[in-house]
Amino acid sequence: MRKKYTIPTYFAFGWLGFAVFLAVFGSFIPIDGYQVIHGDFIDSPPFTSGHWFGVDSNGYDIFSGIINGARLSIFIAVVSVGLGGFIGSLLGVTAAYYRGRYDSVVNTAFNVVLSVPNLVLALALVAVLATNVDINEAVPTWRRLITLVMSLTIVIIPILGRIARAATLAWSGREFIVAARSMGMRDRHIISRHIVPNVLPALIAVGFLAVGVVIIAEASLSLLGVGIPDGASWGGMIARGRNDLEYNPHALYIPIIALAFTVISTNHVGDVLRGKLDRREGRL
Amino acid sequence: MRGSFWVKRLAQLLITVFGVTFGCSLLVQLLPVSPAEILLPVGSPEERDLLTKEIGLDRGPIGYYAKWLGEFVTGDFGDIYYSGGTEEVSGRLATALPRSLLLMIYTQIVALSIAIPLGVWSAYRVGRRADKVISNTLFTMSSIPNFAIALVLVLIVGVRLQWLPTLDYQPFSAGPWEHAKHMIMPVLSLSVGLVASYTRLLRADMIATLREDYITMAASKGLSDRRVLWRHAFRPSSVTLFTSAALNMGGLIGGAIVVETIFATYGVGFEVFAAISGRQYIALQSMVAIICIFYVLFNLTIDVIAGYVDPRTRDRRINA
Repeated sequence: MRKKYTIPTYFAFGWLGFAVFLAVFGSFIPIDGYQVIHGDFIDSPPFTSGHWFGVDSNGYDIFSGIINGARLSIFIAVVSVGLGGFIGSLLGVTAAYYRGRYDSVVNTAFNVVLSVPNLVLALALVAVLATNVDINEAVPTWRRLITLVMSLTIVIIPILGRIARAATLAWSGREFIVAARSMGMRDRHIISRHIVPNVLPALIAVGFLAVGVVIIAEASLSLLGVGIPDGASWGGMIARGRNDLEYNPHALYIPIIALAFTVISTNHVGDVLRGKLDRREGRL
Repeated sequence: MRGSFWVKRLAQLLITVFGVTFGCSLLVQLLPVSPAEILLPVGSPEERDLLTKEIGLDRGPIGYYAKWLGEFVTGDFGDIYYSGGTEEVSGRLATALPRSLLLMIYTQIVALSIAIPLGVWSAYRVGRRADKVISNTLFTMSSIPNFAIALVLVLIVGVRLQWLPTLDYQPFSAGPWEHAKHMIMPVLSLSVGLVASYTRLLRADMIATLREDYITMAASKGLSDRRVLWRHAFRPSSVTLFTSAALNMGGLIGGAIVVETIFATYGVGFEVFAAISGRQYIALQSMVAIICIFYVLFNLTIDVIAGYVDPRTRDRRINA
């Protein structure tokens, strides 16, 4: 029997769909850009006509900030998790399939990277990669973006790589893999036809959790002042709202709510997928 | 069997420590510009050459690592370079490390003392409304990043209600209440997420334990539910909980960067951040190395303790 989804699950899927919609089509929504300054509306609270979410003390409309932030935050998260998941699972699956010295090297490398706390690793990598010779010269935004995505990818690689390795280890002992091998099937084909389809669901479930991790990491980096400049992402909006929380708290809590909803949704979806997986595994 | 376990575990530990510290030293090599240029922005070429020699950057990656490691094990963690002079990293860490350790210990105590009753209770009432409410609430809370909780606390408790100071740290010697006043909000913001994950772990293990025959046996002897829960079921269910609590320790030391920055607690996490924003890459290298060594050592200690408590875990973790 397939269990029906519960209301929170529909909500999570709905919110994620909405956020992705904003991220993809946000620039076509007919409102002013996030960097337009609305001088007459400075500090207006939420539900002001024309500015649903209010305006912050710089005159930036928070609603268009949220839309633009969705684009950046989700772009960064999806690209780093996708890239990190691809590289990580490539390493993890091959390591677990071929075993031997290659496996112990990969596993040790994963352990080494995992022994650095996520945020410390991301922070150190961003700081080193985005260094400029002249301290007064600002690092261009595109370079910040690339280093940010690269650093977060490196954070994700061992997390997903380990999952892929563990899952492959469990599957490659199964009878049908042994059978395929004894029939002379090539390793490449065994991996792509038999192992990857079985490992993928677990990876996708953890991938959703990883998206949450990356969104939080990106926001934390922005709070520490090494993220995307100009408050363009949700984390950047939170960092900017923090400076003015006494008189303008909505500039702080609206991006926090958007970010928290997104992370709750990705975690929930990841959890539901993992639960389904356990049931499927349990029946075998 | 036993001997080989320790040899393997120790080898793994050493490899990880060397790998991490070497990786940290590579970070300095990866800098797009020479560190001497960053550390001495206005120095003459001769001064920069001298500094490069002093740090050991002229010796190539391996030579640099060897020199750094030699000084690191004797407690010389390098210097922080100002325009006027230098300051030793070890001095900064001597004030920062105790703060981070205290913050971490308080966080763990708070998180465990909330999570244990909740976990036991929701396992006892599994499937009932209380269990569902606890589980769903905690799941939602665990997804909220700790900086969000910190900022909301600052906004409500600190700025609106003015109950607690939002910045700074006071040592215990300044009076227990003064000390506590500055610690409550950082500890709360760090422990909310942990409460959720600890409760979840304990609940899952407790549910499995409560299905065991000896629990039915204990209950049928006429022992009260409370006694069965705490005396018979809790102990065997708590191994995963305490293992994961201990594994969090290492992460908490450096992982509290944002919370330490928001509340100006100035622990290790903040020092890492300060080193990065001040472009002190030599200091950064030593600090990241210390955080990782703490993390790895905690893991080893936990493996040892877990191995004594439950001998079945000895081999399980080494392959994981």
